[in-house]
Parts: sequence; structure tokens; C-alpha cells
Amino acid sequence: MPALRKIIFAIAAATTFVAAVAWSSAALAWTPDKNSLAYRLASHDPLSAAAVVGQAMFFDKSLSDSGKLSCASCHDPDHAYAPANGLAVQPGGKDMKLAGTRAVPSLRYKDFVPPYADLLDNPDGVSAPGPGGGYTQDGRARNRAEQAEIPLLSPNEMANKNGAAVVAAIHASSYADRFRQAFGADIFDRPKDAFAKAKEALQAFQTEDYSFHPFSSKFDLFARNKIGGTFTPAERRGFAVFRDPERGNCAACHYHGAGLAGESGLFTDFSYEAIGVPRNAGIPANRERGYYDLGICARSDHPLPANARFCGMFKTPTLRNVTTRKVFFHNGEIKSLREAIDFYNTRDTNPERWYPRAHGVVQEFDDLPPRYRANLDKQGPLDGRAPGSKPPMSEQDIDDLIAFLNTLTDDYDPEQAKAVGQTQAQTRTPRPEPPESSK
Amino acid sequence: MQNSRDVSGAPARNTLLSAAIAAALLGAAASQAAPVTVRGTVAGSLFTPPVNASNPANSTASTTVASTYAGAKVCFDLNNNGACDANEPNTLTSATGSFQLTSATNANVIAEISTSATNNGSPAAQRLVLRTSAAGITPVSPLVPATITVTPLTTEVVRMMENNEALGTTGGATYANAKASLAQRLGVDPSVVLSNPASVTGAAQKAILAESVVLTNRFGFAAKMVDRADPSPASLKVNPSNPTAIQIPEAQQVAMNVEGIPRYDHIFVIMLENKATSSILNSPFAPHIDAILAANNQFTNYFATGNPSEPNYTALGAGDDFGITNDDQWNCDTTTTVNGVVTPTANYPQDLPLPDKNAPGLQNSPFTTVCNDTPVVNHNIFGTANLFNSATTGGLAWRTYNESMNPGQDARTDSIADTAVTAPDHVYAPGTLAGNITPVGSPTLTLPLPAGLYKTKHNPAMAYQNVRSAPEFKSSNRTLGGGQWDATLLHTSVYSVPAGYNTDQFGSDLSSGDIGALNYVIPDQCDDMHSITVSGTDSATGHSATASDCGGVGSGIDGGNDPAPDDKADNIMARGDSYVQYLVNKIQTSAVWQNQAKREAIVIMFDEGGATFNATAGTTFDKTNSCCGWVPGTSSSNPTNVHPLIESPPGSGNFVPDTTVQNYGAGNHGHGNSIFAVLTNQPNAPKQIKDSDAYSHFSFVRTLQDMFGLSDPEVSASYVNRSKYTESFIAANITNLPEYMGSADTHFDAVRPMSHAYAIASGFSEKQSLDESVINAGTTTNPPGGNAAGTVPPQLGPDGNQTNIWALHP
Repeated sequence: MPALRKIIFAIAAATTFVAAVAWSSAALAWTPDKNSLAYRLASHDPLSAAAVVGQAMFFDKSLSDSGKLSCASCHDPDHAYAPANGLAVQPGGKDMKLAGTRAVPSLRYKDFVPPYADLLDNPDGVSAPGPGGGYTQDGRARNRAEQAEIPLLSPNEMANKNGAAVVAAIHASSYADRFRQAFGADIFDRPKDAFAKAKEALQAFQTEDYSFHPFSSKFDLFARNKIGGTFTPAERRGFAVFRDPERGNCAACHYHGAGLAGESGLFTDFSYEAIGVPRNAGIPANRERGYYDLGICARSDHPLPANARFCGMFKTPTLRNVTTRKVFFHNGEIKSLREAIDFYNTRDTNPERWYPRAHGVVQEFDDLPPRYRANLDKQGPLDGRAPGSKPPMSEQDIDDLIAFLNTLTDDYDPEQAKAVGQTQAQTRTPRPEPPESSK
Repeated sequence: MQNSRDVSGAPARNTLLSAAIAAALLGAAASQAAPVTVRGTVAGSLFTPPVNASNPANSTASTTVASTYAGAKVCFDLNNNGACDANEPNTLTSATGSFQLTSATNANVIAEISTSATNNGSPAAQRLVLRTSAAGITPVSPLVPATITVTPLTTEVVRMMENNEALGTTGGATYANAKASLAQRLGVDPSVVLSNPASVTGAAQKAILAESVVLTNRFGFAAKMVDRADPSPASLKVNPSNPTAIQIPEAQQVAMNVEGIPRYDHIFVIMLENKATSSILNSPFAPHIDAILAANNQFTNYFATGNPSEPNYTALGAGDDFGITNDDQWNCDTTTTVNGVVTPTANYPQDLPLPDKNAPGLQNSPFTTVCNDTPVVNHNIFGTANLFNSATTGGLAWRTYNESMNPGQDARTDSIADTAVTAPDHVYAPGTLAGNITPVGSPTLTLPLPAGLYKTKHNPAMAYQNVRSAPEFKSSNRTLGGGQWDATLLHTSVYSVPAGYNTDQFGSDLSSGDIGALNYVIPDQCDDMHSITVSGTDSATGHSATASDCGGVGSGIDGGNDPAPDDKADNIMARGDSYVQYLVNKIQTSAVWQNQAKREAIVIMFDEGGATFNATAGTTFDKTNSCCGWVPGTSSSNPTNVHPLIESPPGSGNFVPDTTVQNYGAGNHGHGNSIFAVLTNQPNAPKQIKDSDAYSHFSFVRTLQDMFGLSDPEVSASYVNRSKYTESFIAANITNLPEYMGSADTHFDAVRPMSHAYAIASGFSEKQSLDESVINAGTTTNPPGGNAAGTVPPQLGPDGNQTNIWALHP
């Protein structure tokens, strides 16, 4: 019955048609684009009681011995929670005359950081397990509550004598009642518990407040198939450079893909690498000969010599908002993004650009003692190619890469970008403000 | 032509008697056009659906008995429109389902079963039109009526004839051929296949009843289409702006081909682990899979739900990961612990006792009764629709076949190590492993059974309380043979071996035919390319050594570039590849597959792409996003605006956010893309087709519901969870689906079945954000304008060939 079969296949094809009609009209209703950004910005829960306390603490200068430093002094909400200034290290201490030892990181996008492990599974699902995770540039804090203690008590930062001093400052603050409401009427009678709660409050603020993880860059529109997320040719080329193992190879550590636990697009794999950043003579601590900041093996729980294999390794930061940074790498020696990329590109081909000479000889890796140089990462572009050889990236590649990295800056507004013809039109993320009481 | 008496409420015997007299009189009066008189029964099955409660004590299995329909309107369907029109001879069936009817001309006899009819005394559950072919009506003489039955199976024969579906070409789909095909499909004798099921016994009756249940559902759906005046697809094709309403004959075809997905008898879904498309395609470590892909059909743009495994398997069970973003045990976060006091939450498991070591016989169980995660995400999914409950409600069986379980273990626990069970290392002679030059593996290495070859995270049924509480749960999780340790599994020291324990129930079921309609075939963590640590002692050296082909991260990192593999990450690909070939051979040589009257399909797929970044020069990246039902909106750690939607109230078509699911915005982010192969046993089915449209686990779950007739495309709520997220559904619910706002590519974001039932517009340009080929084109590793092996270019317009991979015919 060939004729009959033909009819039936026509039926099957036509079934297709019914649905297509229904769907095509539906698709038009999918484009409330303006609403989408507004929705994202508006849609987050009110902060918990603990987070409200944490917010007050975050902006409270009375939590420093000098009375001049709050968390926000270095972690400025208007600069992606990184410093507003271009100092490699920030001033602090009792009279604000001491200096930090490492550049201040952004506090954004820390939500998925696992606790440090010497053999952390790499979220890319491919790379071998290695040192990764944890807070601060050497991973010594397991979470943000632990991390908070470090600046609060460091003599060259907020310089409180101890936790009780911090609690006393909170007790004297205008938000002391909120602290009691959040943690118990008798909480100030138990200073140890109170300090633990204070650290939890700072953690809760960073965990809960939208401004710590807005995911509002052009890249986010791109990665989520959103209107306004179409890359320019330069951005597309730059993304290719970013991922090309033979050129930028940035993605090897600044992993952009989906990882574990639902995270994606964090631009870090939480790993640690030693890359031989030149010594920063501007850091007061570095005036002492023989002093080296050795990263992981500077930690008390990773003593030498047993942990020599970790020396010189620092944490891979996220590259989100990297174009808003003014200093780069753990010691802030590099002062611009282009210079940072140049360092990756020419550290090996033109070491004289980066390291000082002594007796006419370039002193490569001058901030890492020779016995630890086996720890240096050997992945491209830092693959040890010969001096004088061709750098992996061309100038065009670097221009493109910077164009791509610009898409990682938060608060991108595609409507404004269209209007002003810029790729980097910004809109302001609602910032947490210092509560009334602490102003 | 005079109608038979319409005798609603009249005693049945009188009806038959008067009809017989009328027929006799007519027979005497009409000399030329011999009238046809039939007597018979409208029969079928009475199916009592299962009760799938959270608490196993309240769950019951389905039952099926042979039945007859009383009060059904029977007529000669002279115009073959599947309805008893006023001018067509008709009558009502008696209390026993019997009828007698005469017509001047022969025609299909049909029975309109309205909901006022009764099925074995109970009101019919749904309106239904059953038919029997005129070709099966053989009048003996005017005074001796022909005996017929009208059953779901006779209806199926009519439908098959109308669709030219029968085995063999001699004579085409004649009544005899269609009947013989149906009999062969069910494994029953043609002489009984169309009988009143009550008159058949034993295995034949069981097979007929099972088929009757499925057909009753399908034909009930057909009647529903007619009742709501769905447009006729044939008419739409001719007159799209003003189609006529569908009628029963066409609707019964559509009911067997929902959204372009034909009914299959069985599907075997072979699950592999963590390999991107680019890792498998053209890899010397995957020659068998590559050959299968070349010879069969492939969806080339297929995405997973997330990373790691458990979200993907959970999504394969019910079209959602429910915010689960890790591999933790299925009871995680169902308790709270305050000051050391453990308190069950509302999500606490109800399938008690838990399979921990205190349970009888489980002294070595690795199951922990308290599991707390940060963030808190309930892992025990309550009360949600899922494929397994849907299957049993549709009268279909499901199975998971799991390799290398400990004999005597509870399927709700991971398998454990067992030193009493050992196996030799796999040794690959030169030339047998991607062209290895030297042998790989050690003949003197003995490997004790490692822990975790079977993992509950890889069981798609495990997350669902209603499934674990179902009566068939235990018997539906079965063993799968072919494992490295099978030969000594029964030497186990860890659990007591149940009597008659079969380490390869899959093989036995393939022989007996006792398989499910839906079969997830789940290799162990060595044979699925996942990798775990497997080590033992090499007697030649006295030292510990690891297995030749189950170690490593499992990336296939240098696949294709390494003539002398020393990388165990690659070797496990070869191991999994061989195991796939073993499974495919086993299925394809089975009687089930060889019976071409049955529609059988094998899917070879990966839970996720795994690698999204590959550090080795010359290899490619895979997409880091997903499609087709994913959550593209946010990856904030405390998403508050993304929720699953539930119908409220049920049946209303109104959907509201379910705010009880924790961590939801962090789930369903997707991973891609990965291999998806389809093999069928249908000789005339399309082969070597590559469908480039984008699909996902959600699409596959939707496809399975279509394949088994479990859902109605016009009723969104009839599809489980995110598998209902078509473009039109999302559009209608966009205010509650913020994750889809501002979509630049609604087709890519939405779910569709894996057919071309929903055609892509000609102007479509796929905006899959992280497309590889375009980005990589022109780089040093990929030639300008060209695509590296394994990458998928963005799709422009509809898929090029528009061939439905699941189709049964060209």
C-alpha cells in the first residue's frame, strides 16, 4: 500500500507543523530585556540579622586600633571590593604607619572557594589535583570567618590586640543592640563566643549581599545567551587567545568554565602557582635582605623543609573586574593589566625587561630563592622558552585579550552600551552603605 | 439500512435476540447485498494504577485483569471516521460486553467506550474508541453471525494496516500480516492474539494484557485529541489557517508518534562518564564507539545538566537536579544537628529502615544515616513526578542494570571493597590498545575488588522517595554482567549471598524478555570511563601496583596523539569502549533485538562532557554552557529568584514557584557537550544520520515520555519538571522564570523533543555562547575557517537533513 504510507508520512510531518506554529508566536514574548537587568539587581533576599551586623562592622572604623581603618578602607565596594588607590600594599597599624606585605585582593566571587587542600580536585575536571582553595593569598583561612580574624588582629592592619578588643569595640558601637539581637542578649558576657560571632557576621554579609557576587558583566550575558552578550570581533579573538594553550593559555588557571558545586565562570580554578613575579622593592618588608614572601610555605601549618615544594606559590585570583585593578600579582609589583600580560608573554623571552641585572647578568626570579625554582609553573606562556625567542602572544593578541578581559567587568549595561557605542557602559550595582549608625 | 435497536438499559439478551431476528429477517429479505451479522465482545484490560506514595506502606503495585466493557456503543463504521454516526448500525454492549449487530455492508466494527460505559463493572477511566478490522469479519452464513472481538489489540491491527506497518513485504500490511506481526511482537500465537484476553491463559494472556494496558492509554489519548478537537495534522498541511478537527483513525496514529517520537518497545540507555565529544570522536582509544557512531545515528549537539555526576543522573530520572550540585548520598540534608542532637526534617527518608550497618544483613554497609552538607541542599526528593512512577502508571516496567554490585548488598548503598573477590589485571598485547607498542598491564598483578564500583550517585532512580518506596524498586534494580570481578563475585566475604544470586540478570532478562520498557544500563566505575583507584599486589615484584585501565583522571587528555599509551586516563577510555561493544553485542544478539516486530533502541551517552578545558596543545575546548531547559540565569551562591515551577492547583494549568527547593539557582547550569548515539533494530530506520540541533538531558527525558506515551504535548504539566520547559511554556510563565528573561536565543534555551517535531525557523542562528569552532578558528591550533575534530559549529537555520533519528522508516 505505497499510496497509503505516503499519506501517513504526510501526517507525521504535519504534526510537526502544529507545534511549530504554536512555538514561533511564543518566542516573541521572551524578550523583556530591560526587565532582566532590573530583575537581577533587585532580586535578592533581605540580609539576615547576622549579615546586617556584618555590614555595620564592614564599614566601622572603630574596629581598628587607629580608628582610621574599616574593612571597606581597603576593600572598597566601589572598586569591586579592592583598593581604590594604586598602592602595592596598604597602610595600617596603630598609627597608620605600618605597611601590609601583600597586595589587597578583591572580595568578590569568593562564594565557591573550597577549604585549602594540598591535593584539591581541579574544577576543570581535567587537570591533576594540586594545591588549591582557601582564603588569603596563601590559603591559610578555611573560610571567610577565619579570614576576617587576620586583618582584625594583624599589627600592621587593624591592629586589635585580640578578639576581646574587637568585641569591646562592637559593644561600644551603635549596633551593639543588633549584635545582641542577632547572637543573644548575653553575648557580650562571652567575649570568645562574641568574637566568633563577629567573624561569622562578616562572613554572612559577604555571603549574602548581592554586591559580592553580582555576575553582571558582559561575559555573563554572553555565557548565558542573553541579549546584549554578543562579543565584538576583538572580544571573540581575545577569548580565543585566553584559551589557546599556545598563546595566552590563561584558562589553564583562570578557568572560565563550569566547575564543581554549580559554579561556573569564576575565572579561577582555586589553584596555586609559582610564576616568579619580580621582587617589589617598594614593599617595606622587602628591604630586609634574605626575606622572601614564600606563599604557601610561609604558613605555620606548612613548615619547611617538608613543604618546600609549595614555596613561592600564590593563589590564582579571579580575573573578574581585573581591568579595574591598579596593582597586580601578590606583591603589587606590576602596575597595569597590559604590563601583567606582557610579563606572562615575555618573562622567558625577554627576562631583562623584568628582572634587575647584577654584574651585567639578569637576575631572573629575584624574589624566589634558587632552591625553590623547581616549583615554578611550566605551563605556557611561562613554558621556559629561550631568551630571544618569539613570545607566544602578538601585540594584536594582547590588544584582543584586553578587550576580552574588559568583558569581565561587572555592572555592564547593554542598553547604555548601545546608546553610547561603547563596550564598557556601566551601571551602578546597588552598593551596601555604611548603616546610619556607623556614619 | 435499519439500525439495530438502540436499547440503552434494555436487557442484553433481548438485545442480542432481537438483533438476531432482525438480521435473519433482513437476510431473508435482501437477496443481493448480503448483510453482515457479527456477534462478539468488547474486551480489554482493567488496569488499577499503582499508588506511588512517599511512605512504602502506602504504596501499592498496579494490577491488571482481563475485562469486558458494558454499555459501550458498537457500530459498523461505514465511513471509517472512528465514530458511530447516526446512520450507522449500532448497539450497546451487554453487561458481559457482548453484542450482536448487522450491517448491509461490511465495515470495521468499532466500539465507542464513553465514561458512562463500565469496565468490569467500574466506570471506564477514559473515553476510548476500539476498532476491529472488516477484514477479520468472516461471515459463515446469514443465519450464523461471524464471531469477532473488539479489543485494544484488534484496534492496533487496524491502525497498523492503515499505517502499512507489518513485517515482510508479501502482500503488505494485510490483516493477516498485521495480526502476525503483532503476535510476533508479543511472542504469542496469532490464533490467540486478537482473542478476548479472558479466554487466553498463561504467558500469552500476560503479554496480551500488558499490551492491552499500553494500547488503552494510547487510544485513550487519541480519543482525547478528538474530544478537544485538536486540528488534524493532515488537514493542517493542506489548509494551515483553517484545519479540520482530527478524527479517530488519524488520532490513533498520532498517539503512537507523539511529538514525532515513535513508540518503542524497549530502550537501553548505556551510561558512560565524563567524556567530552572531542575526547571520543576520532580517538584511537574509542574505536568501537566511533564505529558505532559512524554506522548508526548521532545527536551531535547534546548537553548535560551539570557537574559532577549526581545532578546529571537525577535529571535523567525526572528532568531536574533539584539544586543538587554534588555527589553526596541520597539522604543528605534530611536531618539537622543542633548540639549533637540529630532531628529529622520533613525530607527525612521514609523507606525505613535505612540501609546502614544496623540493618539486617548489612553489617558492612557504608551508608551513613546522618549526612550534612554546606550549603544545605535536600538530596531526598519528595513527591515529584518522575520517569519511573510515570512508567509504572502507564503499565510499563523500568529497570536499572548495575555492574559490579556486591552480592547481597542493598542497591541504596555504594558497593564496598572485598578482598575475597579478586581479578587479574587487564593485559593489552601490543597493537590492542590504540596501537600500543609494548604490552600494557601486568599478568602477575592481582586486584582485589575495590570499593565504589557501584555508586548510588550513578543511579537515576535513587534521589526519588516515591521511587525508592515503590513496590517494584528493589526488583527493578538488577545486576549487569561483564565485569572484571564477575568470576569471583560469589566468593564475597562482606555480605551473605542470596540464594540463586545471578551476577548477570541483564543477560538472563535479555534471554527471557523480562526487561523494562526503560532500561538504564549502568557500567561500574571502571567500565564507564569514570575511574577509581584500583590497586593490588604484583606477585612478580611483590610491590603494589595499580590497574592498567581504571586509573587517572579520565580525561583522554592526549587521545589521538599518543601511539604508545602510558596514560591510564586514556586507557580507561579504551576499557569503557570495549565494554560498550560487549553490551551492544549482547543486546543485538538477543532474541528481543532480533525480533524485528519489536522496536528496540540503544542509546550510548555520557552523563556529562566532563572536560571543559584541555591544557594540551592541539586539543579542543568544549562548551561550558548548556541548553534546552538549563538555568542560565545566575550562579550566585545564594540565588533567591530561581525556583522550579509546580502546577497549582493540580490540573489548573497554572504554575507557581516552588520556593522550598534549596540551592536551586546553582543547579541545572549545564555542561557540554557529549556523545549521544542511537541504534535501533528497525531494518528500514534511518542510518548514519547526524542531528545537529541542540538537545539536553531534559530533551531526552521529554523524548522518553513521548516514546512511552506518558505525556500529552498539549498539557504542560504532563511532562515531568523541567522537561516541560518548551518555548511556549517559558513564554507563558516568563514572570516566574527570571532565568530565561532577556534570552538571546529562545530556541537554544528551551526544551524540545529529540525529533524535528518543532521546526527551527530558517533565519535561526544558534547563539550558543561558547561556541568552539568559531572562536578557535584562526588560532594556531585550528586552521582559519575550519573546525577542529570534535567541535560543533553553531547551527544556522534548521538542522540540515531534518531526518528524525528515532523514525522507524525512511
